[in-house]
Amino acid sequence: MWQNQRELKVAISLLFLIPLLSGCWDSQEIEQRANVLALGVDKASEEERKKEDEISHLGKRIPIPDEEMIKVTAQIAVPGRIPLGPQQPGGSEKPVLVVEVVGHTLEDAMLNLQQEVADEIFLGHLRIIVLSEEIARHGTARFNDFLRRNPEIRRTAALVVSKESAAKYMNLDPELERIPSLYLADMVDNLSAIGKFPPSFIGLFWTIYSSKGQDPYLPYLTVIEKTTIQLNGLAYFHGDKMVGKTNPLEIGIFMAVRGVGRGGYGAFIQVPGKDESVLVRAVSRKTRTKVTLRNGKPHVSVKIQYESEIDEKESASIELSDSAILKKIETESSKSTKKAIEKLIAKTQKSKSDIFGFGEHFRAKLPHYWNRNVKTKEKWDEIYPEITFDVTVDSHIHRVGMKSK
Amino acid sequence: MGDPKEITTIQATTILISTIIGVGVLPLPLFAVRAGETSAPFVTLTGIFLAALGLFILAYLGMRHPQKTIITYSQDIIGKWLGRIFSIFVICFFLVLTSLAAREFGAVVVTGVLRETPLEVTVIVMLLLASISCRNNINVFSYIHNFYVPMILAPVLIVVAFSLKNANPLYLRPVFLGNDLRGMAAGMLTVSALFQGSFIITMIIPSMKSPNKALKASFWGILISGGLYLLIVIATVAIFGPEEIKQIFWPTLELARTTAVPGNILQRLDIIFLAVWVLAVFTTLFSSYYFTIHSLKELFQLKDHKMLSYFIMPFVFFLAMLPQNILHMYEIIQYIGRAGLLITIMYPAFLLIIDFLRSWRRKKNVAKPT
Repeated sequence: MWQNQRELKVAISLLFLIPLLSGCWDSQEIEQRANVLALGVDKASEEERKKEDEISHLGKRIPIPDEEMIKVTAQIAVPGRIPLGPQQPGGSEKPVLVVEVVGHTLEDAMLNLQQEVADEIFLGHLRIIVLSEEIARHGTARFNDFLRRNPEIRRTAALVVSKESAAKYMNLDPELERIPSLYLADMVDNLSAIGKFPPSFIGLFWTIYSSKGQDPYLPYLTVIEKTTIQLNGLAYFHGDKMVGKTNPLEIGIFMAVRGVGRGGYGAFIQVPGKDESVLVRAVSRKTRTKVTLRNGKPHVSVKIQYESEIDEKESASIELSDSAILKKIETESSKSTKKAIEKLIAKTQKSKSDIFGFGEHFRAKLPHYWNRNVKTKEKWDEIYPEITFDVTVDSHIHRVGMKSK
Repeated sequence: MGDPKEITTIQATTILISTIIGVGVLPLPLFAVRAGETSAPFVTLTGIFLAALGLFILAYLGMRHPQKTIITYSQDIIGKWLGRIFSIFVICFFLVLTSLAAREFGAVVVTGVLRETPLEVTVIVMLLLASISCRNNINVFSYIHNFYVPMILAPVLIVVAFSLKNANPLYLRPVFLGNDLRGMAAGMLTVSALFQGSFIITMIIPSMKSPNKALKASFWGILISGGLYLLIVIATVAIFGPEEIKQIFWPTLELARTTAVPGNILQRLDIIFLAVWVLAVFTTLFSSYYFTIHSLKELFQLKDHKMLSYFIMPFVFFLAMLPQNILHMYEIIQYIGRAGLLITIMYPAFLLIIDFLRSWRRKKNVAKPT
């Protein structure tokens, strides 16, 4: 049959290649996996706790008490219903499936979730994790382990704290985007791109959480009406526990102290000598943080240079026609910003939450002091309320828009 | 020595670069940070200097014996039998090094990317690739390395460049943290152990067009690969901070996972990075595998190394399967790496000293009668 040895050899080696045709072990069709797009974590209520079956443990032999059980709401993409481009006609079917499960830990809940979904759960497209305020105040460290260990999770996924239950966000139906979780994730990403929030993603949260001289922060969202979400402030943490939130304008102030260059917030500044005010919006800032020891006590000096612009004046009685009045507005704006900064720092000192990362400056610039007196994160959190600080703000208004008066 | 002497200095440099850059890039920041926290770049730098010292000794030895490799000239320097015994050590060490590299590769792939694929398959595929390529002569060997070097260097540089957007220079300070000098010294040894692939220079020198340029080639080789390693350490530490790095097995991979190309072209770079890293691992494996069989050939004075290529594969595979799990594997890698410095740095240094003494005595003996 075979003409010569050579042909036989080729045929045999081709036979060896046949098993490779089936692809590799990890091949998985896209419609056969359950792409989890978003996760919401809530505290499980009394009756929800009873719903748990013995999936990852038998009986009561686990160290986590039932009171700390969590309810995870997952948003899973339905294959074929995710619109691929913006031009596609919107169908009436919901593009996502929302499933609720309970568990003692995040992985426990994931195992329970898998038990309810036919396709294999895939977390590679997870864009956002919403923690309810209750959970965040209770501590987030217990979720970190699973999220770090799992290679599918992206470090660039967003992590946010919600005022309402996180489950509510999973069921939200925003008009601007067909897929609710993508809208949520864009909310965080785009707002930090236009200067409404400092860069924030889960990897950064972990980095800040593990480093010794700073405490993490997260965006704080709230639902307004039924379909709108508002960035309502910044949740600040002491260690892994949320201890408070700021109001939205204070986010801008926080960004100034932390040294995020992009400005985005505007504030009313009263014009000196009048009752009316103008709206001054920060365009960019430059921050210099200096740390020193004063009589052996840590001291921080923050110097911030603002570049602002006048967006609007409140009434016609204000004359914005000469540079002298701009100078006055500049000083007034510096003064009020300075006050706000001092207030915010004092506020975080009260809750021992060094979100500004002053501790990192001490660790980096005064290593002798740090090694002798601080060394650990816990110790720094004790020292932080005691530090003294001075703030210098220097505003410049260079632009007033297209109007001459 | 049937092969024509065709390897240019640049080729020798590229062989060194692509041999040195290997599996080690992934855990390197972890090793460095464990040893020195914020002084991780400093630890890396000292490690590079130590590795460079070893490499220069080897290159210098090779230049004194331009026709021979360490297997053959060691027999001239310290005697036939002693030289052979030491050569067996060297060969065994590289056998182990090859298998550990293959195993580390398998471990990363199985944990990070192909989670269902058996570990054995990824390891065997890699070893098979290396052993098939090893059937070529040394010139083809150098072409393969030369071809892959740009592909190894460029993506790493791209990842580093794009990632620096999120860097926080505070994490790099204080540059010298003198808390734990012993730990730093151990870290230095671990880092310089990642450069052990540079031993390959001793095999290349006899085939170089101008062996007296070996020192130049090794200087550039260690400068580029060491510079890249240092850059990786600086970038990962500046982005994650020392405390976070301690929590991650492969900070470099994590760096690629966090980095996005601006404009949403690619939201994460780890796929590109991993594809390249497979190449880097292949070239490293290829070199140590080639060195092992080439040295065996010289030790037993065989004419050809080709048949050895498949013969040692089962041994390498068996050794690769020995570590029980990933933690065990890294313990072994660090231990073997540090112990291996005895072979890759101390042994050549010892040879060089004896060689000097011998030539000095010879000169004296020559001088006397006249």
